[in-house]
Amino acid sequence: MRFIILISLIVIISTSSAIAQDKYFTKQGYISFYSHTPVEDIKAENNQVLSIIDFSTTEIAVTLLMKSFAFEKALMQEHFNENYVESDKYPKANFSGKIQNLEDILSGNNNVAEIKGNLTIKGITKPVTIESKVSIEKDTITLKGKFMVTVADYNIKIPAIVRKNIAEKIEVTFILTHQSYN
Amino acid sequence: MMKKIVYIISIIAFLAILTALFMFIKIYNKPHTDVNTSVSDYTVTIENIANDFNQNEEQANQKYLDKIIQIEGIIKNVDILDGHGTITLTDSKDPTKTVVCNMAVSENMKMITLQQGQKITIKGICTGYLMDVMLVKTVIVN
Repeated sequence: MRFIILISLIVIISTSSAIAQDKYFTKQGYISFYSHTPVEDIKAENNQVLSIIDFSTTEIAVTLLMKSFAFEKALMQEHFNENYVESDKYPKANFSGKIQNLEDILSGNNNVAEIKGNLTIKGITKPVTIESKVSIEKDTITLKGKFMVTVADYNIKIPAIVRKNIAEKIEVTFILTHQSYN
Repeated sequence: MMKKIVYIISIIAFLAILTALFMFIKIYNKPHTDVNTSVSDYTVTIENIANDFNQNEEQANQKYLDKIIQIEGIIKNVDILDGHGTITLTDSKDPTKTVVCNMAVSENMKMITLQQGQKITIKGICTGYLMDVMLVKTVIVN
């Protein structure tokens, strides 16, 4: 009886630690966006991005707070939060997806991950495919990349008066340095 | 006579344009909230604010978002990455409750002297809840 308990304990401990090693996360990921127009360039940065990767299911989940985006100009930040993304009503943006070519990446054949998933901004969810460079070092997994977001897709209305100041497509840059979960 | 009126009107119009331009530039360059000189809206314990968000995030958002929060806590972690400082504080009674503070650039020098386990008071602008209560532009009060 004791032997069985011991064996089952060993099994439980070993499997749970194996699962733990598959999960990586960060609370201090970096995401910025950049809008380029001939009139002006607008950039905002967020250093409080939460991101979790689970290799056992190939899933990745990223969440951020809209209000954590810092702009150079206070007025832009105010307009962004109050008028464009309505961050009081929709405080978070989410991405959840799956890494399509995880085996290639883990074996070292490829360092560009193709991630298919859904991006939710302002309560609207759209399918997106994102390419990301992956670098794996010991317990650290870094995802880096860029993708474009079409403003109109997420019901973000830009008033006519500033339409020339804000690009129709915004470039989103991410650097997510995950540590193993323990 | 006519000439004089046109002259006065043009001066007034010129001044009006000048003030409009001045106002526009001033509004456009409106400064960010200076947390250092602002009075905090709430002084709370980490346990209280974390519980508020845990129990009802929507209600807590209404109460705390964009507000300046002053908090005392124990330093769990100090991080400086690419010039961006982050301090993680835990509650002195309940170490599972944490606040993640994105520090203002002005605090980088002070952060070097901070030690894990030290008790400090900070204030920052609350941006919401993502597993932890999040503050930005945080400054060290004490």
